[in-house]
Amino acid sequence: MTERVDLQEFVGAFVVEAAELVTAANQSLLEIEAGNAEGAPRPKAVRELFRALHTIKGLAGMVGVEAIVEIAHGLETLIRTADRAGGHLRRAAVEVSLQGVRAIGDRVRAVAEHRTPAAAPERLLAAIASTDPTAEPVAAGPSMSSAIDARLSAGERQQLWQALGNGTPAWTFSFVPSEANAARGLTIGSVRAQLATVGEIVKVTPRTLKADDGTQLGVAFDIVLISTASREVIADIIVGPLEGVVAIAPIAAPAEPPPIDDTSEADEADELDEAERSDEATPIGRAVVRVELSRLDDLQDQLSLLIVSRFRLEREITAHGERGHDVRGLRRVSELQGRQVRDLRRAILRARMVRVAEVLEPLTLLIRSLARASHNEVRLELDTRDAELDKAVADRLLPALVHLVRNAVDHAIEPAAERVARGKPAHGTIQVACREVAGNQLELTIRDDGRGIDRAAIARRAGREIDDDAALLEVLCSPGFSTRDVATRTSGRGLGMDIVRRITVGDLGGEVRLASDPGGGTTFTLRVPLTIAIIEVFSFECGRQAFVVPVVAIEEIFELGDAGITPPSAHGGRSRASLLERHGKAIPVFSLGVELAIDDGVHAKKALVIRRNGEPIAFAVDRMIGRQEVVVRTLEDPLVHAPGIAGATDLGDGRPTLVLDLCELGLAIDERGM
Amino acid sequence: MPALHVTFRVGNASYVLPASDVLHLESYDGATHVPGAAAYVAGLVQVRGRLVPVVDLRVRFGLPPIAHTIDRRVVVVQVGTRVAGLIVDSAREVIKLDNTAFEKPPEIIEQQTAGFVKAVATIATRLYLLVDVPRIIGEELAP
Repeated sequence: MTERVDLQEFVGAFVVEAAELVTAANQSLLEIEAGNAEGAPRPKAVRELFRALHTIKGLAGMVGVEAIVEIAHGLETLIRTADRAGGHLRRAAVEVSLQGVRAIGDRVRAVAEHRTPAAAPERLLAAIASTDPTAEPVAAGPSMSSAIDARLSAGERQQLWQALGNGTPAWTFSFVPSEANAARGLTIGSVRAQLATVGEIVKVTPRTLKADDGTQLGVAFDIVLISTASREVIADIIVGPLEGVVAIAPIAAPAEPPPIDDTSEADEADELDEAERSDEATPIGRAVVRVELSRLDDLQDQLSLLIVSRFRLEREITAHGERGHDVRGLRRVSELQGRQVRDLRRAILRARMVRVAEVLEPLTLLIRSLARASHNEVRLELDTRDAELDKAVADRLLPALVHLVRNAVDHAIEPAAERVARGKPAHGTIQVACREVAGNQLELTIRDDGRGIDRAAIARRAGREIDDDAALLEVLCSPGFSTRDVATRTSGRGLGMDIVRRITVGDLGGEVRLASDPGGGTTFTLRVPLTIAIIEVFSFECGRQAFVVPVVAIEEIFELGDAGITPPSAHGGRSRASLLERHGKAIPVFSLGVELAIDDGVHAKKALVIRRNGEPIAFAVDRMIGRQEVVVRTLEDPLVHAPGIAGATDLGDGRPTLVLDLCELGLAIDERGM
Repeated sequence: MPALHVTFRVGNASYVLPASDVLHLESYDGATHVPGAAAYVAGLVQVRGRLVPVVDLRVRFGLPPIAHTIDRRVVVVQVGTRVAGLIVDSAREVIKLDNTAFEKPPEIIEQQTAGFVKAVATIATRLYLLVDVPRIIGEELAP
């Protein structure tokens, strides 16, 4: 591999993701534990746990952290057995899993801190391998809440038993940090310090506080303390209610799996100053919040609604002005608001951007394995600088890049002997570079120094003349075209160039170019927009033409009765609204076909309700087709600018389908006067 | 300097365009109608994945519509940053024409073609009309 590939970038992503998965795995385990306490298995949590471990294993494999792969693999096997046994993961298995997940977490932390992660502890692996997930616990449960019990490691549990066995009381309680507390200098750090003066802290576990609807309220720390201090003293320290401090009853006969001595990372870490470590409460990847793309989409949808209502506000102000009112003050505020909305829009767009370097990272791993399979030495050089790309574009683009890189390794780079004979370096080089270009586009070049494309050979195979690189690309992009009869292991049959073009041009509205230098190599240039709009739409038919409309714009869809709507011919020319009763309210219903002048509206069977100036109005259409997510492309050309036409999309038939803005149509009707 | 020109037919006349302005020739099998667009806008087509508005030259030149034939083509042209398609009755040849071959169109042609023809060239006995693409795709519409 070339030195220029910055693996660090990927390691950062690994750390963030793996840390999240570790948290998720712990949460699943706690849920399973809670289920065990209630005597009800939690198969869903078991499956989630499996998925988390499986993903951790895959990620760790990619960055080459063998220890994590080994532990995760062991756990995965254990959890799979549990899943097959109806989701039963009994206490001993939960315990050993928690230890395993903790060991993984420690190693992720090591990676984050640029330390070499310790090897997987043999005893832990052995314990995982020998645990039967379906075995009932040997001894009766302890009197302390099993939720707390589950969080204790074997060592901590032993510490607790010893104390209880010696007759020293133990307590469990929660400390909830708050701004008020912090103002008084009361933090988890100071609480720890104070508790340490009155006893022995066994465990501090952070826990997310959630409201009933799932929104996060903050963090609480569950603390297990061995102390001879009174309940009042402890309550005083944590500034909490007296009844919140619960004594842990002594456990008669600890019958537990033998504690596993994970002397490596974990214990070393334990020796660190507790207050400083603040335990797992410190997220490993600071200042990075991962947000589901759909939430950002929601934000964008809300923003579009805001822009629409701002437009209405502008019109209202203008109308007032025309009536002779002084609207200068209003106008100033409105302009200020306009700038703020634009800033907000930019900020939302920025939130969707990811670094191209991160997007391309999987290619480095791909090349490594492809080169190994083809016995050619191939180096990848990435030059992405600081370019950024919309996550939605990046996700769609990656498969195209994978195809191109695969083709380069598989078809373009010659065997080392041949390369040397041609006076080239023995190892092949694939360069992937990108830069932002005018028109909010990103240009990516994928250049190899291989044999170039044999135009004559392709022409023979295609059975037509090929004059230039554009024609060559055209042939290569015909579906199913392949330069080889035998599928190779890496590329399969066909070059996948049709896919590359479909993604780049069809899905993303970009372009593909090709420049091939026989003997010298091939360069593919892709241009894609930095950002695309993906929205959920309803598709429907009106006047035998298909249209789509954003789901967020539609308040309700209802069936028009047999009567349909009053034929517009009754009014001559453009329709007036028919009034239909809906939820005790009269709603004006317009024929969309008539409004768009494509149909007489007599076949209308359904009505789409939208809100216009806060009032519901409906558009009658012939029939609904479905609901799907589409990439919306804006229509830049003035030839196709028309009211109510917001853009176009491809529903999969290769033909453009128009995206309608029914609100705009509604406003147009308003202007005309109903 | 002789330059390559794409020739096409609309109605009874032959037209030419510099090949450098033409991106591709595509067969035409209908466009997505865009309600509210000008009458001469046949709609939108997807050409190699790109969304392209198409102008029906018969309508633009005021000719009666004809039944669909397999000869109809979309001449995809680029003017500045705009890309548009021109629907023509047929398009087959590419010929070499010298710039000096073009003359100012006779008044009668200028009138008949509503200013969409900016020059004419006579090759052998055949008259080729050089179309004014920016005007056809509505330069007045451009932002």
